[in-house]
Amino acid sequence: MTLQNIAMSTGFILILIGLYGAMTHKNILRMIVGFTIAGTGTNLVLIAVGYLPGRAAPILNAAVPIETASATIVDPVPQALVLTAIVIGLGVTALMLAFAYKIHATKGTLDISKLTDLKW
Amino acid sequence: MVSPIYLIVITLGAAFLLGLLSERRTELAHFITVLALAAGGLVSFGWLWIMAAEGASAVEIYTAGTKPPFAINLRVGLPEAALLLLIYLTGLMSAIHMKDMLLRKGRRAMAVLLIAIMALAGIIMTRDIFNIFVFFELVAISTGGMVLLSDDPRALSAGIKYLIIAQVISILLLVGIIFTYQATGSLNIDFMKTPELALGGGGTLAFFLLLVPLLVELKPFPANGWALDIYQSAHPAFSAILSAATGSAALFAVDKIMDIGGASWGPVLTGVGLLSFVVSNILALVQKNDRRLLGYSSVAQTGLILAVVGQRELLGESYLFIAGGLLIGHAVAKAGLFYLSDLVKGRMLTNWADLRRNPLLVFAFATFIAMLSGLPPFPGFYAKWELVHALMASGKTGLVVLILFGAILEAGYLFRWFGYLMKRPQSNTPGTLPLRGVLVTMAAALAGWLAAYIWGELSGYDNLLSQTALLFALGFLLIDWFPAKLKNTIAIAGMLAFFWQSYTGYDPIQMIFGIIILVGGAVILLASYHERGQRIGFYPSALLMFAGLAMLIVAEQSFQFFAAWEVLTLGSYFLILRGKNAEPHALSYILFSLAGAFAIIAGFALAAQGQAGFKITALADVAADLAPWVFILLAIGFMTKTAVIGLHIWLPGAHAEAETDVSPMVSGILLKAGLFGIIVLLSNMGSPELYGVKLTYVMLWIGALTALMGNLMAAFQEDAKRLLAYSSIGQMGYAIFGLALMNHLGWLMALMFVINHYIYKSMLFLSVGGVAKRTGTKLMYKMGGLITLMPLSFFVVLIGIIAVSGVPPLSGFGGRWMFYNAILDSENRLPMIIIFISGPIAFLYLFRLIHAIFLGQLKDEHRKLKEPSFWIMVPQVIYVVLLLAFAVLPGMALQKVDTFLNGMFPEGGLNWDGLLITSDYGYWSPVWIMVVTGGIFAAVFMLLLAINRKAQKVKQFNIVYSAERPYRPETTHFAWNFFAPYRKAIWFLLLPIATRFWGGITEALHATAGFMRRFYTGDAQHYVFHLLGFVVGLYLILLGVQ
Amino acid sequence: MEFDWIKIPYALLTLFIVLNYGLLMTAIIQKMGARAGRRYGIRFYQNYIDLIKNYSMRSKITHGYMFYLGPVFRLTGGIGLLLFVPTIYGSEMWSNFSFSGDLILALYFVFFGTLGMALGAGESGHPFAALGVSRGLSQVTAAELPFAIAVFTVALQYQTLNFNEIVAAQQGGFLNWTLFTNPFAVAAAMIAFLGMMMRSPFDVVVAPQEIPIGPPTEYHSAYLALMQTNRNIFPIAKIVVYMNLFFGGAGSWPEFMIKAFLLYLVSALVGVVFPRFRVEQSIRFFLIWGVPVAIIGLLWV
Repeated sequence: MTLQNIAMSTGFILILIGLYGAMTHKNILRMIVGFTIAGTGTNLVLIAVGYLPGRAAPILNAAVPIETASATIVDPVPQALVLTAIVIGLGVTALMLAFAYKIHATKGTLDISKLTDLKW
Repeated sequence: MVSPIYLIVITLGAAFLLGLLSERRTELAHFITVLALAAGGLVSFGWLWIMAAEGASAVEIYTAGTKPPFAINLRVGLPEAALLLLIYLTGLMSAIHMKDMLLRKGRRAMAVLLIAIMALAGIIMTRDIFNIFVFFELVAISTGGMVLLSDDPRALSAGIKYLIIAQVISILLLVGIIFTYQATGSLNIDFMKTPELALGGGGTLAFFLLLVPLLVELKPFPANGWALDIYQSAHPAFSAILSAATGSAALFAVDKIMDIGGASWGPVLTGVGLLSFVVSNILALVQKNDRRLLGYSSVAQTGLILAVVGQRELLGESYLFIAGGLLIGHAVAKAGLFYLSDLVKGRMLTNWADLRRNPLLVFAFATFIAMLSGLPPFPGFYAKWELVHALMASGKTGLVVLILFGAILEAGYLFRWFGYLMKRPQSNTPGTLPLRGVLVTMAAALAGWLAAYIWGELSGYDNLLSQTALLFALGFLLIDWFPAKLKNTIAIAGMLAFFWQSYTGYDPIQMIFGIIILVGGAVILLASYHERGQRIGFYPSALLMFAGLAMLIVAEQSFQFFAAWEVLTLGSYFLILRGKNAEPHALSYILFSLAGAFAIIAGFALAAQGQAGFKITALADVAADLAPWVFILLAIGFMTKTAVIGLHIWLPGAHAEAETDVSPMVSGILLKAGLFGIIVLLSNMGSPELYGVKLTYVMLWIGALTALMGNLMAAFQEDAKRLLAYSSIGQMGYAIFGLALMNHLGWLMALMFVINHYIYKSMLFLSVGGVAKRTGTKLMYKMGGLITLMPLSFFVVLIGIIAVSGVPPLSGFGGRWMFYNAILDSENRLPMIIIFISGPIAFLYLFRLIHAIFLGQLKDEHRKLKEPSFWIMVPQVIYVVLLLAFAVLPGMALQKVDTFLNGMFPEGGLNWDGLLITSDYGYWSPVWIMVVTGGIFAAVFMLLLAINRKAQKVKQFNIVYSAERPYRPETTHFAWNFFAPYRKAIWFLLLPIATRFWGGITEALHATAGFMRRFYTGDAQHYVFHLLGFVVGLYLILLGVQ
Repeated sequence: MEFDWIKIPYALLTLFIVLNYGLLMTAIIQKMGARAGRRYGIRFYQNYIDLIKNYSMRSKITHGYMFYLGPVFRLTGGIGLLLFVPTIYGSEMWSNFSFSGDLILALYFVFFGTLGMALGAGESGHPFAALGVSRGLSQVTAAELPFAIAVFTVALQYQTLNFNEIVAAQQGGFLNWTLFTNPFAVAAAMIAFLGMMMRSPFDVVVAPQEIPIGPPTEYHSAYLALMQTNRNIFPIAKIVVYMNLFFGGAGSWPEFMIKAFLLYLVSALVGVVFPRFRVEQSIRFFLIWGVPVAIIGLLWV
């Protein structure tokens, strides 16, 4: 089993764990934690897809000359994506936490199953 | 032109600028927001102008100094520019609309709004899928923030539900992006196209994972509970953005990535879209909350457009026209309706009655629902026409059926809502309507009309908004504040002038209809002089109907015909709805009419087989295997309008509950539209056969049964106007029967019925309506004895019923005479028996009508009544003169038609030999009948006068029965359940089977909706489950299909 | 078309003959009915006496214009029907005003008088008048059905709506009568005939003995006299239609009288033998017995 496969499987397992957690726990904070785990898993999958065994990090310096770079470094794009995704994930998580705070402040509960005043 | 990148720069820059402002300078902040959005709108408009008017090609904007695929590029072409304009304008109008809320929440809220709009613009422009992801996340975050701009505390839970779903979407999207990247080695849409990603290729799952999150952004059923909650609880101005702008952006994103996956994914989109469209429309049926209803409607419309996106290969060049037409219609209307909902205090649909105080808003609402329902002259109408044509031409009948089924459901709840608005009681504490909200709404409505004009120009047909007749009708919207009498004069003059100007172009059949519609309509309008005040809304509606009718009879292409058909339907609907208790009846009228119109559009589309500008005369050349189906579809459509048995249940209420001068219009004139359609159909298509059965033979049966049931039901009505309405059903049955005979005299008889029915039904509706206006009731048994107070009305009704019944010497007899001559020509004997049975029944209801109202006992509360007002009597007197003239000289109107019919049916015409009219079988001399009858009558009358001139007039109760003198007219007037023995004998024919059938269907749909919507439990985790279920289910279906 | 003024005296003469014939014949048939019921019956000139009495009555009231005109409509209907149909086959003069219209005119003119009289009686305000009209209309419209279909059958059979041509087609021996060429149609028409003559079993409409009901009750003196006059003309006018359509027409006055008498006798005979139907029963009777027979006749052609 290559490192890439391990990383990817771990990533998917994390996604599933995260989603499972988010769907089984009623507490909004726990759900947020679940989504964070799933988000981490997603990032891991992203990295795993871009990883090429035996290549260097995509940083162009003396060790990695530009001319041969495309054959010697791993694909930089997924890594860039992951960076962006992490930032965005942070923003969303923060917003959700803010919502959780506000919900607790106005409704006195963090139980998601009690927020069903809108339906049908 | 400014580079499109500045769209992002301006918006983002303004958002940052807001951050620099002081917290308190909210007015300035709002000004900056509005300015930024307006600037964005202006730039977008500039690009749209360049692309559309000057034909510039799409521009590419490269970032990071490199060309793709090594850097992100943006693109603005025609669709992008249009969508950008839509997004910025929506943002601008929403920003203005929710100014109060924004001022209260401060500059941060405005920044969030700007970010949202910027992100949407980004989704439109970017060609990079990861960039799409980023912008979608921005949209998600800003949406999460904007949801809170609401007075509704429940918005909080809607927001968290949305964020939870957004998390799942973003996980799916990221995984999808990375795997498609792996498969294609690029993130740029233009470089990613590979067969591997086609459905069934090795990258199916990868593309599926990319596609599905974007689909979920479109809120497809069943993964859309979260979206409905937002629509229900968010600030309506934000909901407008969510529906109009976000929805459009997401649709465009799907459209873009379809470039990657290729056409093989089309059916997936169509399937998902149509499921959403149909199911959401069903669910909306039982929705009472206005904003949630709009949510369902949004979801449905988005689904429809998604379905169209799925068919884009098929639609080819017209794809943008169709998808764009549907999209613009949806976006403008939905945004406008959300703005309106902010002006309504209560959240029930019935609370919208408060809007009635402002006619402008009623106009706006009508505009919006007409746009959503795809009615002319709006873009959705052209789009629907083209779409159905394209689908029918490629044999996708199933899709057409589903689309039209969903559309009729949607029209159902929208028009029901309009009925609430017009008819339900207003709240007791009407607040003032905020001016800003009204202006924004009106701006949206005007945008709708502008779009209507543009689509008309683009359509390749005559622009509906440049038709004189239609413009004349719409012109009354502008002068609706004039007094009614002035408008009435303008209307009459306009109709007569229009006739004067166009009559030279009519052939004799068109001439008959033209005279009835334009001149006849003007005569009925004379009665409208009795109304005082402004009578707001009456003239635009009435003239819309007349315009539609006038356009109908001269239509040469199927498109013109259908457009006219829809126009007259819409106009008459508004007209009928004006009646006091007309709400449910107007609704069933419009629904039956629209369903009939759908049959017509499908029929024309099937006939055209993709030809543009299909001429109606080309119906004659339809391929033999299609011809019967085309015939059936068109016939169903036309016969819905004439209310044949089974499709008739809308008519009695609609005609009976309409206003006094409206009933004769819709009965005497509007019904003829259906007959005209049948005439056009039969004269072009003849009588195709299906499985060896001649379709006109079926029509004969339908006509005969309609005549029988119409007459029978009329005999058992207590309501005078309903009686007349049922009688119309029967009369139309006769006319259809005559046409379906397909011989010379049958047609002549039908045309004579057209004239006769116009005259006597208008006359009877006017006089009965006038009487009902005086007595305050339409129930005949509550009247009685009015002959002494209203002798003129009595005389009119007397002449009317003699004419209707066909008793010589009046003109009805001519119709009967031709009828007998016509059937002697025909071989079909069985349906004739039905017609025979229905004939005498007419006497039952006619006698009942005149007896129960005018004879018998006068009621105490009516003793001081007078004749109906002068203006209502004027047309009646004209009709009496016309009837007598037509009775004596039928040749005036018919001789030319008779000659004209020789072109179609050379055999069996009439001979017009002086006073004598002869057919192959018999003869008839109207003048002599009149003279002889008159002579005998005069002689007998003289005799009676001679021996009985001193007869003494006695009082009402000078009668004796059961050895008592009656003194209570109520118990002495024999009128209720007049034909009790007849009912006893044939009760089984009177069962309301059709009403029960249609009622059952409606109830079943509502019950289904009531049951199905429990699926949306409101629990976020259930929604996540729905979403994952949707993803997995869809994938399994795809695997299964492969 | 040039109008022949001599037609007017001929028309009046027709009227005169038919009226007198009607007065006598109805009296005789009434007498026969009475004898069947073991009563003595009226004198044969009783109708004349009644008529003269009513024409000369002095007490006269009116409820209004329509009330006044009702009997006029009624009698116009009777006379008109008589004069619109050729009475004697082959005679230009005894064809009276039949140049105005054909069979269809006769078919629809039947209703002219009925309608007018019903309206007139309605104005009296008497509920029984309306009740009678309600019953009468219900029954007559049902009775009309087999008749209308039979008429159409005959028209179809002879391919014409012209009375003269229909009668012409039946000449040359009684086997050429419609009675024998299309017995079903005639049977149906005769069933209808019973209903239209308003004799038992279809006489609940006028209910002659026990309850005074229907328009005749509301009228008196000269009005009633007009209606009585009509009672003696109208049935014969109808019989003329029947004669022409089904029984070979009449070539001369004696033939006319014999045929009219026999036809009238049919309804009288049935009336003597059968008890009375309620209205809904008679409607169903016509629908169940009359219409199917008429349909068979129609399909037979």
